[in-house]
Amino acid sequence: MKKPNNRQRSVIMALVFMALLSAGTSLFGQQTFSTTIYFDYTYYLSKSGPKTMAPPNTPNFKNNFFTFRRAYFTYENKINDNLKFRFRIDSDYVTALDKSDKPDDRLRPFIKHLYLEWSNFLPNATLKAGMADTLTFKIAEDKWGYRSVAKTLLDGCKDVTGKDIDATSADLGASLAGTISKELKYAVMVTNGAAYNHPEGDKYKKIAAQVQVIPIAGFSLVGYVDYEKQSPSANAMTYKADAYLELVKGLVLGAECFSYKNDLNLTATGTKYDVGGFSLFGRFGLIPNILNAFTRYDRYDPNTKVDKDGTSLVIAGLDWAPLHSSFKLQPNVWFTSYQDSAKKNDVIFNLTFFLSF
Amino acid sequence: MNFKKTLWAATLALGLAIGSGQVFAQKKMIQVKGSDTMVNLVQILAEEFMGKNPGSALAIMGGGSGTGITAVINGTCDIATHSREWKQKELDLAWEKGVKPRFFVVAVDGLSIIVNEKNPLEKMTMPQVGSLYKGEIKNWKVVGGPDKAVSLYGRQSNSGTYTFLQEHVLGNKNYSLDVKEMNGNAQIIESVIQDEGGVGYVGVGYLFDQNGKIRKGIKVLNISKDASSEAFSPLDKQNIDSGKYPISRPLYEATNGKPNAAVTGFLTFETGPEGQKIVEREGFFAISEAHKIQNAKNLK
Repeated sequence: MKKPNNRQRSVIMALVFMALLSAGTSLFGQQTFSTTIYFDYTYYLSKSGPKTMAPPNTPNFKNNFFTFRRAYFTYENKINDNLKFRFRIDSDYVTALDKSDKPDDRLRPFIKHLYLEWSNFLPNATLKAGMADTLTFKIAEDKWGYRSVAKTLLDGCKDVTGKDIDATSADLGASLAGTISKELKYAVMVTNGAAYNHPEGDKYKKIAAQVQVIPIAGFSLVGYVDYEKQSPSANAMTYKADAYLELVKGLVLGAECFSYKNDLNLTATGTKYDVGGFSLFGRFGLIPNILNAFTRYDRYDPNTKVDKDGTSLVIAGLDWAPLHSSFKLQPNVWFTSYQDSAKKNDVIFNLTFFLSF
Repeated sequence: MNFKKTLWAATLALGLAIGSGQVFAQKKMIQVKGSDTMVNLVQILAEEFMGKNPGSALAIMGGGSGTGITAVINGTCDIATHSREWKQKELDLAWEKGVKPRFFVVAVDGLSIIVNEKNPLEKMTMPQVGSLYKGEIKNWKVVGGPDKAVSLYGRQSNSGTYTFLQEHVLGNKNYSLDVKEMNGNAQIIESVIQDEGGVGYVGVGYLFDQNGKIRKGIKVLNISKDASSEAFSPLDKQNIDSGKYPISRPLYEATNGKPNAAVTGFLTFETGPEGQKIVEREGFFAISEAHKIQNAKNLK
């Protein structure tokens, strides 16, 4: 049989695509496509902090720049009232070399979510199976509400060294989240523990559990713990506690603290150390749908056995939707101070552009 | 502060000032969002209210009952319109976010089952309607109609009407995957007019043309509770008031806590004599005395 040429292949593919489209709701259920993008214009307001100081002999030091921070493309298919499928592509700058060994660090896509969600798998409980969002920062991120401006405390701190905290926003495995009563919610998750950007590298699995207690309307307490064996003789655990207050219309107040313990985290003298921190934040709707203000204070200790290595971060900004809620301007300032008195403060201004459509 | 920093600060302040000018103009606007079944009715009520109350401003948006309820929970609208009761998970989320919803019944709807005017069928039972939408009955002859394939038209899952029918007629079972999901009541009616095998469900207020007559091309079925009951029409107010028509429902509005003075003014207008006249003029049914008493309690 003669193989089809390129033109014939194109026609066949177009016909298959049209046939799939015309199959309509019976095949695809209720589908949605959405995109969320945020990018910054960043300007260093200080010149002598660890982040903002130009290295010696660098007259062209990058002290202002545009950068994409996230670009999500999400496809969801609600198959029926109990089953939903989600596929999300994220993108980030990935360091690479082209064929001629020149840097080619372009924005590259990768899969962030790929899961099936089964509502009422158990009474008032939802099962997710696949690569799904973890429990670790989900509630904190929702309450903070400004992922476009900054990651939440633990999410952000894991990126400071890239190895000290084993935490991720998405992972491959299964989770079950449910409601026992309006005052009590729970969630458990089992994953590879290798995050969305690595295949599983060992036989150990990460187990996470979370309880949310809401004793009065607008007041939540959240307890979280995860555990993963690191080697036959080493364990790692994350403990996290959050509190949220939403008692005044438009005002959200939050507190998050964590401690990360890993038997493999050793100082130069072989002593175990922990990582910890706490965060306080608030946001207020000045004019509903149009203008909000937010602020946050983070305290981070990367090594409990080392003095004067802590950092404090203050973020303050506005969230302004001048035309529509799908387009927001979020000017914000980051003020970082260091426990080490030899380090001067960093002050950075960001104008964050948020687009969602 | 050096020149560049001053320039940045000035630009930022200017932008905010311009924005503030725009937003303060919109600050007094009451945002109403939710049910597509109610959107035309509430738009007309709002226009009448604004005409009688110069300086008042309302923005009415559809999107479905679920969308409106979510917006009230998230604080992005003042009034949610919804054609179904809140789901438990919505009440739980409201509790978590410190939202204390207050509910007001502004009209009553006879959820109407429509077929193409060429379909000779005159009545159906609720279980038959449920079987149609669950995909168990695929040919009209099974329920006494012509030998023609059933063509199902319905709403998307964020619609209160979708949920109401599912809970009250489908026994909380899933809809057939063959249901063609339309964006609103008007689209369902247009589809049934074009399709001789078509069946749809719409709010009673959408059945009438500009002259107050049933729209050409559709037929409204009488519905009985079961095979041993008499079938009744949703077009007769007495059938709704007496509960004889089995799939009537209140149409609600909800606020976060006690409504402010401006929202109270609008709710009072809607549920008062003038508003209720408009409700009836638009094809829906006026609320009962019990609803009025409950509304008054919730306004305090």
